[in-house]
Amino acid sequence: MTPADLTAADLTALAPLIVLGVAIVVSMLLAPKADAALVRYVAALGPFAAMGIAVMRLGTPSLPMPALLVDDGFARLGVALVAATGLACLIFLRPALPAREGPPLMVLATLGGAVLAMANHAATVFLGLEIITLSLLALTVLPRSNASLEAAYKLLILGAIGAAALLLGFALAYAETGDLSLRAWSGSGMLVRLGAALLLAGIAFKFSLVPFHMWTPDLFSGAPPAVAAFAGVASKVAVAVVLIRLAAAPMPEPVWSTGLAAIGVASILLGNIQALRQPSLVRMLGYSAVAHSGYVAVILASGAPLGAEAALFYLASYAPGLIAAFCVAAGMGGAPMLDDLRGLIWRSPIAGAALALALLSLAGLPASVGFLGKFYLFTALIEAEAWALLAAAAVGSALGLYFYMVFMVTLFRRDDTPRPTPQFQTADTILLLTASGMIAALGVNPNPLVNLVRLALP
Amino acid sequence: MTLGAIILLPFFGGLVALFANLIWPRTDRWVALASLVLGMAALIFVTAQGVLTGSSAAGIEGEAGRWLALHRSDWAPALGVQILLAMDGLSGVLLFLSLGLGILTVILSWNETEKSALLMAALCWTVATSNGVFLAFDLLVFAFFWELMMVPAFLMIAIWGHGTREATAIKFLIFNTIAGLGLLAAVFYLGSTSEGPVTFDAFVIAARDIDPTVQVWVLAGFALAFMVKLPVPPFHAWLPDAHTQAPTVGSILLAGLLLKTGAYGLFRFPAMLFPDGFAVLAPYGLILGAFGTIYGALVACGQTDAKRLVAYTSVAHMSVVLMGICGGVHFSMMGAGIVMVAHAFSASALFLLIGAIYDRVGTRDIRQLGGLQRNAPRFAATFALFFSATLAMPGTANFLGEALVITGMFQVNWVYASITLISLVISVVYATRLFQRVVFGASRKAEVKQDLTWRELGPILVLGTGTLFFGLLPQGLMVALDPAVNAAVGAIQAVTK
Repeated sequence: MTPADLTAADLTALAPLIVLGVAIVVSMLLAPKADAALVRYVAALGPFAAMGIAVMRLGTPSLPMPALLVDDGFARLGVALVAATGLACLIFLRPALPAREGPPLMVLATLGGAVLAMANHAATVFLGLEIITLSLLALTVLPRSNASLEAAYKLLILGAIGAAALLLGFALAYAETGDLSLRAWSGSGMLVRLGAALLLAGIAFKFSLVPFHMWTPDLFSGAPPAVAAFAGVASKVAVAVVLIRLAAAPMPEPVWSTGLAAIGVASILLGNIQALRQPSLVRMLGYSAVAHSGYVAVILASGAPLGAEAALFYLASYAPGLIAAFCVAAGMGGAPMLDDLRGLIWRSPIAGAALALALLSLAGLPASVGFLGKFYLFTALIEAEAWALLAAAAVGSALGLYFYMVFMVTLFRRDDTPRPTPQFQTADTILLLTASGMIAALGVNPNPLVNLVRLALP
Repeated sequence: MTLGAIILLPFFGGLVALFANLIWPRTDRWVALASLVLGMAALIFVTAQGVLTGSSAAGIEGEAGRWLALHRSDWAPALGVQILLAMDGLSGVLLFLSLGLGILTVILSWNETEKSALLMAALCWTVATSNGVFLAFDLLVFAFFWELMMVPAFLMIAIWGHGTREATAIKFLIFNTIAGLGLLAAVFYLGSTSEGPVTFDAFVIAARDIDPTVQVWVLAGFALAFMVKLPVPPFHAWLPDAHTQAPTVGSILLAGLLLKTGAYGLFRFPAMLFPDGFAVLAPYGLILGAFGTIYGALVACGQTDAKRLVAYTSVAHMSVVLMGICGGVHFSMMGAGIVMVAHAFSASALFLLIGAIYDRVGTRDIRQLGGLQRNAPRFAATFALFFSATLAMPGTANFLGEALVITGMFQVNWVYASITLISLVISVVYATRLFQRVVFGASRKAEVKQDLTWRELGPILVLGTGTLFFGLLPQGLMVALDPAVNAAVGAIQAVTK
């Protein structure tokens, strides 16, 4: 396709990618000379515009696209969620140095997520995943501390293994079917099945599913909190969209569903168990992120008719809680321990209340949007009559309560030792209030989010 | 919509109370009190309207005259969830109890200075969420309030509690929320297997013909949540700690209100939704209840911490409620309903009195207390009243309730009736021990010098009047409970005969 072939329709469909790309280039050009705040504002325009475009196009008929990309409801919702997360993470992105490459890199990661959400072909899946991984890698090392270097190395090495598995999986399937689009998996030969298993392993790396999850807690504790939040929400949303597309492919069974269910259950149990005794907020969130990935994986593995809706709603309901928690972590120096959080709600009421609400939401207690996420999770598994998966999800939520509540009770603990008051900028406070407002408002009235997710369904 | 106000007024009252001090110092308690009184006014209005207009407010098929008020509107149509609130006599009685205890606890904590705004909010929210539980007939909304109810109680224990309050608060929350998962899974199952559009409407589900085996499993999920909250052994491990470490107002709301939500759930939903499952599981409930009433009473005899002692008597009394409900005959269910009300009065009052002693001398150890009647006659007199209530002395509401349960038990099986009688005997042992140690004898290490203040005496008198009034003139209470009892007994007998 030459530039002359680009029609208005193509431009409309590609608009989110274009605005993100422009924002990256412009903010990169500005970065060396301009004021750091200006760079951030310019960079923020990209995700903001992409989110707006994607939300406005929800529900309109999909436009024809070249073979690499697709313009369907999932893609639009995925782009919207990724861009919203990218925007939120830009707000509290705090490199240790006044690094101006931070904001453009964050938007680059958002672009990767958007590409992945629109991917319909092995090449775009790989491209999207690698853009995310490489930009997150660069963002992770920005603080240049030992912890961040360790996290970056783990992400680099494990990510490379994951990418290799993914590529080999595609190659094996290609050898059998001669097709690289996501429809290629309809065969049932030995190579396709082997390829599916490798593809699952590759995706499990990005989705931080057991046993490919080891990088997650380290990244969460070593990387700047905003980067961890992006890895925890945006890249998962994008990968979940790919998983939903693959499930419709259809994938060779029973390799795909059984495998996904098995690593999903393992993630739920192991993630929750390992989170039980974590004294560090961010490491606890890291292990709980593994568990939450597990919930999404079992939803998709159950094959419930509600699966896609439930998985997307679950991730959307998970996002505000995780982002708020990481924003508080950022204000408290990046990796607060239990002791640092003692009595936070009395010292800094807004941050404390936001974190308390975030923990309630992550634990799935009512009057928070997480409760409705749990509702979708259980309902999807019951609908699919997947009793074993349901039991695992129930055990997981029960275990999860403990560590969320340990942190929750610490927030309210009376304590006379003087501790530093966390530093929040106005933008952080606005972000915290927005996230808390979303958690509470959507927890009481979920209709807007349900309707948004339903618009994305075919 | 007035029904909604019974939930919303305390809820928003709590929210306003939280921020009231920022605008005008020390107004939080006034806001809390006003919202609860307004809630009570709304309740009185709804009740009066329902009683005067009769069944015309209802419009629910079949049961003319049972429902005093009904409200139905959309909440999340996309998920099939609606706001369906209904009030009959049983709900009404418990709502009066909930708002009344809320007002009492606000008055009791009038001079609390530590984080008073949040305490007022927590009190209001406990009342609001329990009111939601007592009114909701959309099962998802019921589960929503059921889980939400734990949060303010958790805060009360964690912030204003004694001793190892944080660990206790976590234990309380985890026990109840894990049990709540059973309820959630069962409710989600009922919703996702709806015939036609998804609905959680309890009346629609009650009309459905659910397979008896499924009923047993789903009921087990419901019963798990209710029995942990009740609590009946072996699900009671959270209660002694929670009661002991909670602040006085927390203990009052736990005993008077939160335990009653468990009893209410058992009273209302098993017979209504799953009569076949109830018929299968009720015998096991009777066994658990019989075990619990003896176990709770015996363990209470061995306690030295007065608050812990009262906590174990709650286990014994609520096990009697479980037996009464599982008996499934008119006498026993009516008795269970009356014990619920009576226990709310007597346990709240005992916690209040013990809390008042603890405020004065800083101990609750009955080996160190004593001689209350010399220095504090008002203390001693009120203690005597509630001591007789807890051992079910004739004339108190507790006696009436337990007597009805025992009468009902004779219709079910004389073994259970005898066990209940034996537990009555044991209750005399622990109650006399508590009374003798605290009230009579010479004052030991801890001497109470100051008698009850009027701010403490007021709530005590209200609770005492309730105990005696419903013990001597129970007719009004029985008329109020009758429709709910009849409906439950009718549903059970329809499947067993």
